[in-house]
Amino acid sequence: MAVNINLHKTHREYAGGREAVAVTGTTVGACIDDLLRQYPGLRERLFDKKGTLRNFIEIYLNNESAYPDELKKVTQDGDEIHIVILLAGG
Amino acid sequence: MLTEYDRERYDRQIMIPEIGEAGQARLQKAVVFIAGAGGLGSPVALYLAAAGVGTLRIVDNDTVTLSNLNRQILHGDRDVGRDKAASAEATLARLNPEVQLQCSAETITAANVVDLVRGSDLIVDALDNIETRLMLNQAALNLQIPMIHGAVDGFDGRVMVVLPGKTACLGCLVRGKPQAGKFPVLGATPAVIGAIQATETVKAITGAGRLLAGRLLRYDGLALEFSEFKINRHPQCPDCGRE
Repeated sequence: MAVNINLHKTHREYAGGREAVAVTGTTVGACIDDLLRQYPGLRERLFDKKGTLRNFIEIYLNNESAYPDELKKVTQDGDEIHIVILLAGG
Repeated sequence: MLTEYDRERYDRQIMIPEIGEAGQARLQKAVVFIAGAGGLGSPVALYLAAAGVGTLRIVDNDTVTLSNLNRQILHGDRDVGRDKAASAEATLARLNPEVQLQCSAETITAANVVDLVRGSDLIVDALDNIETRLMLNQAALNLQIPMIHGAVDGFDGRVMVVLPGKTACLGCLVRGKPQAGKFPVLGATPAVIGAIQATETVKAITGAGRLLAGRLLRYDGLALEFSEFKINRHPQCPDCGRE
């Protein structure tokens, strides 16, 4: 399954400056695993030391929130994933 | 009941078919709670006061510092060291003396948030941390008061409208409580987001247009792009899932 992952601007420096990365996988988690295989430097940006998605990371699948259980969500050919940072400032 | 003064003062928005005199009268009767008189709270309060919202309740426990002034346009250099609530009240009273102002320097806590927002027609989330935002979200759900969420960081911002019992709430979106801290921000970013929050507030009060309910609007000032994500309610939401 060819899926496109759109990276947040703060993550792009860990992916060679790319705004989006083509990955394969049948779930969001598998797609992100493929992303991390290509760009291992992103791992600690997205996951804590226990391997849990950091609490300020938001994942959207085809412009719809994937929360909760984001990583288990099934993906299909041509899907778009967005990895976004929670904003809290005011 | 609109006076001749009101008809002239609000003429340009009364001309808008979706508002008209009936909408202006609704604004005049409305009570809006604004949590925070900082970067977001400043444009929200200024535009709602200018629009003739009848009563603004503003709560902020902070005092004005010099580094606030690139974005918190309710306050100026002369206000440094003053309570933001008192400074906001003085600025808004000058802008529109018709608006009833209830400005308080209280700290919003889990214990007092329901009492603070009770009786309001609408809540505007102009806070600067997730923990208090979630308290406000819970109070909005408990009292069935619509809430306009806004947040900023750097050149980025976001807005979402929460309609209790009908649409996703903040708990449907937020997976945890990241540590609050000093964040970078361009002054114009909360101006953009606060203006959208004020627009949504006026729409919610007057019934005009389609609200950003269940939709998260994202603003990227660097690319100058707006995008939108759909936010669904989820049954296990710690805040609205048990309704």
